[in-house]
Amino acid sequence: MTRLRALDPARHGALRLDRARGAAGRRLVPVGRGEIAPLVADMPLLFAKDAQTGRFEPVALLGLVEPVNLFVSPAGYHATSQPGAAGLTALRLDAGGVDGLAVDEADPSLGTTGEPLFVDGRAGHWRAALDAALSDVTAGRALADGYARRGLLRRLSVVLSMDDGQEQVLDGLYGVAEEALAALPDADVVAMHRADELAPAAVLTASLAQVERLRQLHNARFPQQIAAIRLAIGD
Amino acid sequence: MLNDYALGGRERDLRNTADDPERAISQIVVVGGGSAGWIAACRLAAAARRSGSDVAVTLVESAKVPTVGVGEGTWPTMRNTLAKIGLSETEFVRGCDAAFKQGARFVGWADGAPGDSYYHPLNPPAGAPEVDLAPYWQRRPGGADFAEWVDYQATLCDAGLAPKAITMPEYAGQANYAYHLDAGKFARLLHDHAVTTLGVTHVVGDIARAEMADNGDIASVVLADGRLIAGDLFVDCSGFAALLIGGVYDVPFRSCRDVMFADRAVAMQVPYDDPDDPVTCHTVATAQTAGWIWDIGLWTRRGIGHVYSSAHQSDEAAEATLRRYIGPAAEKLSARVLRIDAGHRARFWQNNCVAVGLSAGFVEPLEASALMLIEASMDAIADRLPRTRGAVDTAARQFNAAFTHHWARIIEFLKLHYAITRRTDSAFWRDHADPATWPDGLAERLALWRDHPPAAVDFDHAREVFGWPSYQYVLHGMNYPTRYPRPDATPDAALAQRWIARNERVRAEAMQRLPKHRDLLRAVREHGMQTV
Repeated sequence: MTRLRALDPARHGALRLDRARGAAGRRLVPVGRGEIAPLVADMPLLFAKDAQTGRFEPVALLGLVEPVNLFVSPAGYHATSQPGAAGLTALRLDAGGVDGLAVDEADPSLGTTGEPLFVDGRAGHWRAALDAALSDVTAGRALADGYARRGLLRRLSVVLSMDDGQEQVLDGLYGVAEEALAALPDADVVAMHRADELAPAAVLTASLAQVERLRQLHNARFPQQIAAIRLAIGD
Repeated sequence: MLNDYALGGRERDLRNTADDPERAISQIVVVGGGSAGWIAACRLAAAARRSGSDVAVTLVESAKVPTVGVGEGTWPTMRNTLAKIGLSETEFVRGCDAAFKQGARFVGWADGAPGDSYYHPLNPPAGAPEVDLAPYWQRRPGGADFAEWVDYQATLCDAGLAPKAITMPEYAGQANYAYHLDAGKFARLLHDHAVTTLGVTHVVGDIARAEMADNGDIASVVLADGRLIAGDLFVDCSGFAALLIGGVYDVPFRSCRDVMFADRAVAMQVPYDDPDDPVTCHTVATAQTAGWIWDIGLWTRRGIGHVYSSAHQSDEAAEATLRRYIGPAAEKLSARVLRIDAGHRARFWQNNCVAVGLSAGFVEPLEASALMLIEASMDAIADRLPRTRGAVDTAARQFNAAFTHHWARIIEFLKLHYAITRRTDSAFWRDHADPATWPDGLAERLALWRDHPPAAVDFDHAREVFGWPSYQYVLHGMNYPTRYPRPDATPDAALAQRWIARNERVRAEAMQRLPKHRDLLRAVREHGMQTV
């Protein structure tokens, strides 16, 4: 549930934004192109389709069974790095608000901890942070578009074997098709390398091993244990 | 002279080698453009590419003959056809003004009373073929319509929802779907794809005559300007002119006017009042005094036409009926009249010539069978292309047997829509309901289907063009009286209940998940669909 309001110093002047608590209730957040390398140390990076456009975008998988971000706990944020968009889920662009911003008053990252929303009555630093994050996410989408055009994406499902014998499947995820990547003509490989599209493909694939870390984080928090986790390749 | 025109240096004098059974089928000539010709050329060329064969495809069409442009509704089979020729669904939707189609709603066919309508969705009934829900529906509580009760697609249509979301890959949907399209744009898109991507040679010219080989095969067609196009196999897609199957081989035409009375159609292209008007996601077929009106929604316009019997209504009255249906929007629009010569060839494949499309036959577009028959024909031809001349006769025998059967079943199925009507308001409907006008076997089947739902065992072929689910949708949609066994006397009751419950779950999920049809079309045009 969101509660969007144009940013208003009279209403929001005392609020603070705690990036560490951003995206606490999300399993997926978009990832910027420049974040792929640092994030791979912590979390699996895949692709998902935007619900409005159907276009692919890189995403970080943050949760498994429950709609929660396993890296966020009441004690804070527990990973080496955080997707930029995850720390800014409380902010939106809105021409009617101060510095062109709106806030989601229901977002858990808004409250009494973290950085102040306003400095000297302005929120320009947040606007700059949001613009930078959006720009990086846009670059990530362009990277995904390029992979999709070359037929390099394939469906991936995360299959959870629960300790009660049941199986749960997370669908709607995609990864780099390694066979298709390996089969690319030489000229395409060189072109991708020159465009810095090749290395991210390898890094994204390597990040998939981090699903095991999510399983461990889940089991540390929830009574229903995940006995095993694996990735299943779709069509 | 036979060699006036060079086709990639592969022209040959076939007159004296045509009866060599080992002669390879390597040059295929498609005569005629339009939807049929270009689908044929694309399917043949794509199949050749896929198999790595050296088959070359040439399409020759006249610049003077306009395409008829019939067939603006497809079956779901079109998704396979487009995928087989390597055309992206995004490109197709954008290039053909296309929209998604989830079935047809028949208005006024059962008795013509207010509220008389039923759906023939493209989804099969839930549980098919594992379980037949018809006997359970017969004793359903609350009197729900058959299509509503056994499937959820009618609900989507009523709500104006699309069969898929933008996040679903090309050619995949939550619900089964086909397309509505602009036939002229479709032919142009296929032309571009055939020529630029699939390597089809396109020749523009008027065919003057055919050169015959000693064994009766067509060796080549000669154009009015003297150019000659030789081939091993000729696909006659020349429309109603039937230049080869009729003009060269004089294969008799079997009229079915005594069964299917409609012999005219008058059509209009109606722009939307507002570009954001909803796009209907199904065909609406509304019964009229002497025929019926089709109404299909494309991205920019509706295609609306009145199919009628000139023996029961004058052309002027038929056009007036159409204009009344459309309303004020029709005032500035001109109407186009089409003649329907209902029937088909006695044989479709003669020697090395096979007729596809209107040259093979035509019948009123009540179940959008025109494009489907082209696709089915090309599946049979392209997927089992004879490698040598010696194999052609076997292919021809199989093809003729299969399509003679298909035509009989199509005519029977279309007649079914009329035969069980309770309308008596005009001679058109009374004549249709007269068993004397029914094709052989329909009366017998209808008697059978009073006691038992249509089932696979009622049909001769494993792959019928209209299977038992379609018969059930029409029979039960029109409230054909039945007396099926009590459901509690059948062993599948628990299974049926599970499928009914599952259908309700899927319906609720689909209503939640799927977008408005126009919103999906807009998203496809703006963002495209992904291939995975």
